[in-house]
Amino acid sequence: MHGWTGKILEIDLTQRKVTTRALDMDIARLFLGGRGLGARLLWDEVGATVEPLAPENVLIFAVGPLTATGYQTSNRFTVSTKSPLTGTILDANSGGYWGMQFKRAGYDALIVRGRAETPVYIEIKPDGVAIHDAQHLWGQRVRATTQILGQNNNKRNVLCIGPAGENLSRIAAIMNDGARALARGGPGAVMGSKNLKAIVVEGKERPEILDQELFKFMLYETRKLLRASPLTSQALPEFGTAVLINIINAIGALPTRNFQQSQFENAEAISGEMLTEKHLVKNAACWACPIACTRISKTDRVEGEGPEFETTWAFGAQCGIDDLAAIIEANALCNDLGFDTISAGSTIACAMELTERGLLDSDLRFGRADVLAPTLEAMAARRGLGDDLAEGSARLARKYGAPELSMSVKGLEMPAYDPRGMQGQGLLYATSNRGACHMRGNMLSLEVLGLPKLIDRFQVQGKAAFVALHQNSAAVIDSLVLCKFTNLAVAEEYFARALSAVTGIRYATGELIRVGERVWNLERLYNLREGFTRADDTLPPRLLNQAVTDGPSKGWVSHLQPMLQEYYRVRGWDENGVPRLSKLKELGLDGLR
Amino acid sequence: MDERIYEMFRDIGRDLYVAGLVSSHGGNLSIRLGDRLIIKRRGAMLGRLKPHDLIETGIEKNDSGVMLASTELLVHRTIYRMTPALAIVHCHPRTAIAFSLSRDEIIPIDNEASYLLKKVPVLVEEFASGTPEMANKLATALQQYKIVMLRGHGSFAIGQTMDEAFQWSSILEESCQIALAAKLINEPFIEYRGMTTEYARW
Repeated sequence: MHGWTGKILEIDLTQRKVTTRALDMDIARLFLGGRGLGARLLWDEVGATVEPLAPENVLIFAVGPLTATGYQTSNRFTVSTKSPLTGTILDANSGGYWGMQFKRAGYDALIVRGRAETPVYIEIKPDGVAIHDAQHLWGQRVRATTQILGQNNNKRNVLCIGPAGENLSRIAAIMNDGARALARGGPGAVMGSKNLKAIVVEGKERPEILDQELFKFMLYETRKLLRASPLTSQALPEFGTAVLINIINAIGALPTRNFQQSQFENAEAISGEMLTEKHLVKNAACWACPIACTRISKTDRVEGEGPEFETTWAFGAQCGIDDLAAIIEANALCNDLGFDTISAGSTIACAMELTERGLLDSDLRFGRADVLAPTLEAMAARRGLGDDLAEGSARLARKYGAPELSMSVKGLEMPAYDPRGMQGQGLLYATSNRGACHMRGNMLSLEVLGLPKLIDRFQVQGKAAFVALHQNSAAVIDSLVLCKFTNLAVAEEYFARALSAVTGIRYATGELIRVGERVWNLERLYNLREGFTRADDTLPPRLLNQAVTDGPSKGWVSHLQPMLQEYYRVRGWDENGVPRLSKLKELGLDGLR
Repeated sequence: MDERIYEMFRDIGRDLYVAGLVSSHGGNLSIRLGDRLIIKRRGAMLGRLKPHDLIETGIEKNDSGVMLASTELLVHRTIYRMTPALAIVHCHPRTAIAFSLSRDEIIPIDNEASYLLKKVPVLVEEFASGTPEMANKLATALQQYKIVMLRGHGSFAIGQTMDEAFQWSSILEESCQIALAAKLINEPFIEYRGMTTEYARW
């Protein structure tokens, strides 16, 4: 067997029992690994009656057939669970070293069940798996926990939660390798609900590759493309992902002050260029990644990884804040407390608007950088107003009587692109299976960057087909599991051949995209089983009804409805957004309906 | 229909004709819109497309549009059913057709086509137009390749957008012209690329 280890590790924390079982290879071929495998396993494991924070929910950590092979960016892994923030199916993924190490420990996936009576951590080594007491770690922050458990770059890697996860914040992340995040949808709270503080892995075996010559060729050709692309060889290494701040602001699609405006007047002050000029210490890279987009930044008070574009936006333009040092510090604090920075920043922005509208009595006001750190501390400790903010913006806005002020879809806070200025992005957010997400498809490439070719960002007709294709593509990249930044330079036809080289199973490019479509439809079935309907495929009313008042997107609202109708047809779903039996048969999912 | 869609057909159709990639009435173009497609009208001139030359019909279902659509409709439908393509460009690149008469695959020697195409397979079908056999064979190949040649007939290229599919078509013909010129010069080829022996396995 090549590409997969063939083993799933299962740990029941209630019974403190460790077992392994064989990976079903039919499932592996159909869903690959990572997100796809996680979704398929979750379908059987967690039904509609299970509360996300109950012991019956599970955490599924998964890697893919390319993981740890040395193919560019083959370091990533995913976690799948039912989201405590949205109630939808959830997967989140992260880079660094942990995923590579887990694969080298000899597993394709880890399923964690139940709830430990007292805090524990799991240690996975080539010679065995152990559950250890973690009471001495409970309450420790991420950086300290990672150090105490012996993080050692590519030998021993630590994944853990911080106080946010321990205290069941619905926007808590799981952190790995010190400062990387499985961020969105609150997986950290699920881990906290299981009294599971950390998972430490030590690996040994490098996966074997079936066709070494073809694999070397794919490495060579992929490196050529990554070097040739200005995005992956210049923009991302030089400025990090925050290079997008000025680009998105210039087209009038940078949401500002909780999406009240679409351009931030002080964008330059928080741009990737400014980050590089004033705060960059050096670049860093995940394992087997030649792009090296990670920033090591510092201020007078902190030094650490980040911030990424989305984080810079969430604590910057979204909160009306132009103090880049304060944003870097908020990012570092989120990493240490274990928060999703997009949801944390956007929830604070929501509170700022509630306050300014007189619906909430607080000192949170747009532009006030000084409130960020104390607010995050209060959220992690669930102290005072922080207790409400730790629930995310949807629950916060509902509690204070203005649900429309949560800039979220299905309860997940929207990232840094205003759907009024990027029509396809709006459809992407509205239909994303885990709630509003920019990583479930890449309309940025088509509508802004011109990859592979620029399409009009205001065009409505025909957009649905692009969105669906990119959603399928994202799902397959998350199932391999690779970094989506490679896809800025390298097309799926390369991934298909790399997969064929590793596994010996010939995947045509079209078949690979079909895997993504299968994953997407399975996730849709999961959400339908949870009771989600067409009515949930929508955007906040502000984006549908209030036109942008100024700048290059002036006069535009999101024209969601015609795109949504077209989208259901593209997907082979009925007018209610339910996959037709013919589509499920085509994808081999008809047995699950 | 969105004005931008017509402009795209018009401009790329014109470019194909001007570049000599089609004769006066040859070739065709289409894009996918969900479960529908828009395709050039049968007999329309690619270099002179008017709004009424764009025909919309179903990918799965027939309607009155099939009366007017290109004779290659079946091929386009099959490709959309079997591949992730959102656009198709079919043209008659002369030099590439000439090479297809004596080769089972075209492996570029110039830099750009090596970089972007690696290898273009040549398919063979006795009835080279409008048959289900040909449509299936083409669509199967296009699951793996973004452009393929049909021996003696022409190229079929797919893309997310029509200009992407146009790009593959244009690059293929340029590459074949360069290969032809190199043959005419008839001097020993000096390899300048790496790992080219693997191109045949693409």
